[in-house]
Amino acid sequence: MAENRTWTVSSPPPPPPSSSSDSSSERQILRFIPFQSSADEGFWRRLSSLKLDTLGLDQSPIPITGEFFSFLSACFYAPCSHPQVPNPLKLMAESLPDDPLQLVIGNRNKCPVPGTLYNTNTLESFRALDKDALLKMEARKVKSLDFSIFDDIISGKADEDCAVLSRFLLISFADLKKWTFRHWFAFPALSLEPPATLVNIQPASKVFSSEEAKSLSRACNEWRNSNMTAGVPFFFIVIASNAQVTIRPLKDWEAFHGDGEKLLFGFYDPCNLPSNPGWPLRNFLAFICLRWKIENIQFLCYRERRGLADLELSLVGEAVVLLPQDWRSPCCVPKAVGWELKPKLMNLAASMDPKRLAVSAADLNLKLMRWRTLPSLDINILSSVKCLLLGAGTLGCQVARMLMAWGIRRITLLDSGRVAMSNPVRQSLYTFEDCLDGGELKAVAAAKSLKRIFPAVEAESINLAIPMPGHPVPAQEADNVLKDCELLQSLIASHDVVFLLTDTRESRWLPTLICANESKVAITAALGFDSYLVMRHGSGPRPVSSDMLDATCNASDKTGDVNAIATQMHKLSTKNEDRGQRLGCYFCNDVVAPIDSTSNRTLDQQCTVTRPGLAPIASSLAVELLVGILHHPKRINAPGEISSSIVGSSDRPLGILPHQIRGSLPQFSQLTLLGYSSKSCTACSDAVVSEFRRKGMEFVLQAINQPSYLEDLTGLTELMESVNSFRVDWDEDDSDANVDD
Amino acid sequence: MGDQSICDGSLSADDFYVAAKSLCELWQSANTSLPNWTWIPFKRIPTGISCNEGYLSLENVFHVKSSKELVSSQDLFQEEQTVDSATVVQVPSSVIHAYDFHIIYSFSYRNPVLYFHGHKYDGQPLALDDIQEDLPEYSLKLIRESKWTFITFEEHPYLHQPWYMLHPCGTSEWMKLLIGGALHGNPYPANYLVSWLSVVGQAVGLRVPSSLTSSCFNDASSSSIGQCVELDPSL
Repeated sequence: MAENRTWTVSSPPPPPPSSSSDSSSERQILRFIPFQSSADEGFWRRLSSLKLDTLGLDQSPIPITGEFFSFLSACFYAPCSHPQVPNPLKLMAESLPDDPLQLVIGNRNKCPVPGTLYNTNTLESFRALDKDALLKMEARKVKSLDFSIFDDIISGKADEDCAVLSRFLLISFADLKKWTFRHWFAFPALSLEPPATLVNIQPASKVFSSEEAKSLSRACNEWRNSNMTAGVPFFFIVIASNAQVTIRPLKDWEAFHGDGEKLLFGFYDPCNLPSNPGWPLRNFLAFICLRWKIENIQFLCYRERRGLADLELSLVGEAVVLLPQDWRSPCCVPKAVGWELKPKLMNLAASMDPKRLAVSAADLNLKLMRWRTLPSLDINILSSVKCLLLGAGTLGCQVARMLMAWGIRRITLLDSGRVAMSNPVRQSLYTFEDCLDGGELKAVAAAKSLKRIFPAVEAESINLAIPMPGHPVPAQEADNVLKDCELLQSLIASHDVVFLLTDTRESRWLPTLICANESKVAITAALGFDSYLVMRHGSGPRPVSSDMLDATCNASDKTGDVNAIATQMHKLSTKNEDRGQRLGCYFCNDVVAPIDSTSNRTLDQQCTVTRPGLAPIASSLAVELLVGILHHPKRINAPGEISSSIVGSSDRPLGILPHQIRGSLPQFSQLTLLGYSSKSCTACSDAVVSEFRRKGMEFVLQAINQPSYLEDLTGLTELMESVNSFRVDWDEDDSDANVDD
Repeated sequence: MGDQSICDGSLSADDFYVAAKSLCELWQSANTSLPNWTWIPFKRIPTGISCNEGYLSLENVFHVKSSKELVSSQDLFQEEQTVDSATVVQVPSSVIHAYDFHIIYSFSYRNPVLYFHGHKYDGQPLALDDIQEDLPEYSLKLIRESKWTFITFEEHPYLHQPWYMLHPCGTSEWMKLLIGGALHGNPYPANYLVSWLSVVGQAVGLRVPSSLTSSCFNDASSSSIGQCVELDPSL
């Protein structure tokens, strides 16, 4: 084999006179700059997908032990091209080709070198890997499948494929739940004992005559530009006496006959520093010494700038290498070094975690809207507002989806029903599977569905039936109903916005009352067969001071002393008028109290059958109305506006903020309306709310069990008002004195 | 077709290829410390139609910052590897970030689009906040104030990884202004990308060498390149 041949070559230039033969102790040890390593995101993605694919297979590719997989892969590097920045050895997606035996193709910027990656399955086995043993394996092969530097040199493989002199080693642990990748590089290098010594080193421009320099640059650029040689990182350079320079691959050495030319051993140097060569030179020197038995070695650290050879940056030096004694024995295991000082941790959650990517993509739509047309869009308020949806049916499902489209992420769905077979076609969060086995609970199924659509949504479900006036409860249920009322009240208190999307009129009463009491933003959507109503409730009565409350209590205890009550009521109304008139609620236009509605249908009552197009229209309007409210400085107290025929009549970017929208499908028409709070309203009038404040849930229970109670209460107020005004009139006009009350 | 494109500021796919080649050549001979643009061809499944599809790549634009306080990555392990006497132990004295820029043709907008990303020296990708710390003040100003610079995080059409991108809507409108106003000495489409890059490059701190811009435009218009974006409020 190759090691039996000896070659004579013309001796290299004699060492400079200053260093005599016994001055080896004066020479410095030749010190190399280690590789920098860089594993880019594409590499880790590729490794992740390989790992996910192979985990399912029984056979692992080239296992070393059962603990980890090893992959044959390639790194890429190039000569240094920047005076301040060394070129790292890079791992990229191409480092792990589909077919491990496939030749990895590089180009002038990506010279491939082979290596082995050991990827462990657990962090513990990552830490437990015997790094010394692995390094030794790189140095001298243990099993027939291994590759090693020493063997590649003596077998002649390095002549043919010199990139093996720069091989690498990588151990890694990929945590595919957190998308973090721990890894540790090694650049195995045969360690010489005694170490090589440096005779001199200097920029290449100082060593050559200008003729030689030109010729060398030209030869290097040709080498770098040719597809055949661009990816060959080691070569030798012959400088003839007429200053002509040729570059030859290593395999030409055997046939080469020197003739007094200068010889240089060149390599792509990734390092940028002016006084030390880069790491590839270590194994190169070992190769030259072991294979060709040369001890005085002149080398060229090739570096470039902007694609051309740069002889200022490139270095020429001379080293003296002594073949270690034990390398001569056939079964030696040469010492190797090369582990990087520390392992590294790469965190790719931001770009690889699909849930994070979903969030940033959803945010993108809103940001684009804000950037292009709505600079006043407040994305923060949208993402922080907490919405309670009472009802998870046709309206509830659509409202929830629209809320998510606007970037609203905190959604609570309340419903007491189960998904029925007729639901999925009209209620957009449910599928056929939800109907099986009696049907999933609607609130639960809806919340699950929202999370399937957008994992980052904070969706809660509440399974609750809203207590309704006109549907009396038996005594033994009273406690449960009270609890439900209290739960509803606390839910409303803990949310910012309430959507009333239930399918009966009376189920809207209690939530309306509670919202009026707390002045919570409440939006109602109600469907007729072919018409819809969407409206926002006005604020509730201003909370009274405790003195007022006591005075009112005392007054009403004395039966018949109606004047006192009236006076107190009148004072309340006046106070409210300070803020301007309150907008009305869903019940303000009613003359009758909410009762069992199965027999008495009005336009606004939810029918069991409606034209399917209505629910999405009404739901969308309800959400757009909410966004309008959130962007209005007065919020719940924003005055109601009516659409006008004057184009662009609103200054605000989102347009007008109506109070009520009523639409009709047969006409394909839509109206905006305005209504104020009625003093006789059974849900938001002063009388009702103040009774609620006074008596709490007892009042509610009374209203639930006796619908006429509300009528009486509100009728009483009206009566009081008219009595009060009657008295005023009496003072002014004698002729009214005989009018009966 | 060329005339129509001049009028509306857009670019056909074939013209993109011509413009890309032109940019590579002009850049190579320009006096700049930045690396060269390379054309990366992209081969679709052969359709029988010869097609020059690909994109322009400018890689390893280094941003070097000296750092007195070294951000030490968490010490994962206590043990360090010992080194032998022939190894130089380096202490990093500066923070190096590497940026890659790709110019990719968008078939739906009929414009070039600038994709970019940055990473630390060891490969860890940079978040947008980190990137903005590296950008010069004029870039930050442009991003904050201009109606035309909007950075999004989207999938790279060829590499299928998320990269940052300068959103292309509106490109046609201001390119129409730019090209329309500087027809003197401006062979279309060869210099389309040079003009385009001279504007969008400002948003990412990429300065187009002046020798390129002066070869495309007369003096008056080259000085207004950066300003035309802000001049017309109706855009």
